Amino acid sequence: MAESTAFLRFEGIVAGYGGGDVIKGVDFSVPQGGVTCIVGPNGSGKSTLLKVVSGLLRPRLGQLWFKGTPLVGLTPREILQLGVVQVPQNHSLFREMTVEQNVELGAFLLKDRKVIAERLKNVREIFPIVAERAKDKAGSLSGGQQRIVEFARCLMLEPELVVLDEPSMGLDPKTLRLVFDTIKSMNSAGRTVLLVEQNARQALRMSHFAVVLENGLLRLSGSGSEVLNNPEIGALYLGGSIETTSKAVSPAPSEL
Amino acid sequence: MNSSALIHALLDGVLTGSVYALMATGLTLIFGVMNIINIAQGILVILGAYLSYTLSVHFGIDLFAGLVITIPTLFVVGIVVERFFMTKLKGPERTSMSILVTYAIALIIEGALNMIYSINDVQLKAWYVNQSFRVFGLWIPYIYMFGFFLAVALLGALYVMLYRTRFGASIRASLADQTAAALIGINVKRVSTICFGLGVAVTAAGGMVYGATNAFNASTSYDLISRLLTIIVLGGMGSLGGALLAAILMVTLGDVIAVVWSPIWSTPTYFFVLVIVLSLRPQGLVGKLSVREA
Ligand SMILES: Nc1ncnc2c1ncn2[C@@H]1O[C@H](COP(=O)(O)OP(=O)(O)OP(=O)(O)O)[C@@H](O)[C@H]1O
Ligand SMILES: [Mg+2]
Repeated sequence: MAESTAFLRFEGIVAGYGGGDVIKGVDFSVPQGGVTCIVGPNGSGKSTLLKVVSGLLRPRLGQLWFKGTPLVGLTPREILQLGVVQVPQNHSLFREMTVEQNVELGAFLLKDRKVIAERLKNVREIFPIVAERAKDKAGSLSGGQQRIVEFARCLMLEPELVVLDEPSMGLDPKTLRLVFDTIKSMNSAGRTVLLVEQNARQALRMSHFAVVLENGLLRLSGSGSEVLNNPEIGALYLGGSIETTSKAVSPAPSEL
Repeated sequence: MNSSALIHALLDGVLTGSVYALMATGLTLIFGVMNIINIAQGILVILGAYLSYTLSVHFGIDLFAGLVITIPTLFVVGIVVERFFMTKLKGPERTSMSILVTYAIALIIEGALNMIYSINDVQLKAWYVNQSFRVFGLWIPYIYMFGFFLAVALLGALYVMLYRTRFGASIRASLADQTAAALIGINVKRVSTICFGLGVAVTAAGGMVYGATNAFNASTSYDLISRLLTIIVLGGMGSLGGALLAAILMVTLGDVIAVVWSPIWSTPTYFFVLVIVLSLRPQGLVGKLSVREA
């Protein structure tokens, strides 16, 4: 992808936590307007890569470009101001605060009370639970409800890029569908989505672009259906390595 | 046992307890936001007391008026300590390392205070330290009441700041979950620095009242810090309400035991209660076991 059209571009990213490198040189671009999905086994470094995007972790090497602006070295706050928000893997609502206080805090960077009230109104329309449970403590909500409120909170900044780390983790099939539908409608509303998912099949089906991360390196990338139908990905999740399955050329089983 | 002694004990528990609550609130705020145990809190109280002493003896400034100088001074001391030492503490060993580092800082301040003020006990003087008023047939020095009002006013201000302001919301968010706070645009580092400053600043007020109600020298800080630590452990580490409750409980209990039984049993009884409470509620009276996600 040409540099000028890249919305978010990872360029030679190497990152870790002081020990060895967890991300060992990652290059790819997130196209504007679509849903991009990162899949990969546990511990492959997906969350670590997203922490680099949000500014929580500074990469050791490499650069990250958002619409031509270098992100490395910016604080999480500065990255938010550019229109990139992130919902982390672990629940991140403030449990002792009410649902409404939590959602309002999503607009922490905004000063104008009128704008905040306006956005709160919009968010209430999209997510009825924000109004229904407004005065309840966030900690009293179920896991799935908390996820929805986290989405509501992250939309308060009306971001251009929404980064989601395993949004469906621990959800029952019905809530999972609701969460995926919500992601789709966020995307239809014009927001680019970058997401990490373990429910790979469902996530890849709605993704325009996808990458597979294994052990800190990209093993595959392509359109959602390309990755979905690639025989190697099945092997990856079965625990095999790419080398041993590379001779497999038969099409993926149809149920994949 | 006489009832006026008991009333006196209860009264003292509330009046003195509120001042301990103020000092302990600083400690628990610093722990809650930063995971740092500030062992220097005790000597900083004494530093605050000595600053008030110098202002009153050498410059003739009233103890309460002097707070306008000593509170900002200790706020700056807190900011400097945080910038120079606390920001260096990182990783999972942060809390235990902070104990060592703040202990070293305490020793340095103690040495300096011993040099400047000698090891002889002093006590702050003012008319309200010497003169008393009568309540329930008891004579209570005015300083106890003034100190109580000061503590209540400062705790109230802290409460309003925490629960009614934007900055307060950023402190509470950082208290609950630093990652989540950072991801909504809160500058957690700045919040931490200011919290450390605030946590230390309250020692100026606490130290002044302490120094006016007790004779002290630099080594008094050891008794102070052990009391403050047990208060925040009993209340629940990081809980502001817990610190208030535990401080009043500790002083009242100590006083009541001294009256109905013997002063010798004051401290052991408090620790007995502490052990019982912690065995039933390891998180303390008001604390929560997992405020943060792992
Ligand atoms: N804060 C941390 N400090 C040190 N090492 C970490 C930290 N967070 C993650 N790691 C290590 O980095 C590696 C990658 O972790 P990461 O959380 O990025 O994986 P992941 O792909 O998101 O896994 P999962 O699917 O389980 O969420 C793991 O080996 C993990 O132990
Ligand atoms: Mg992860």
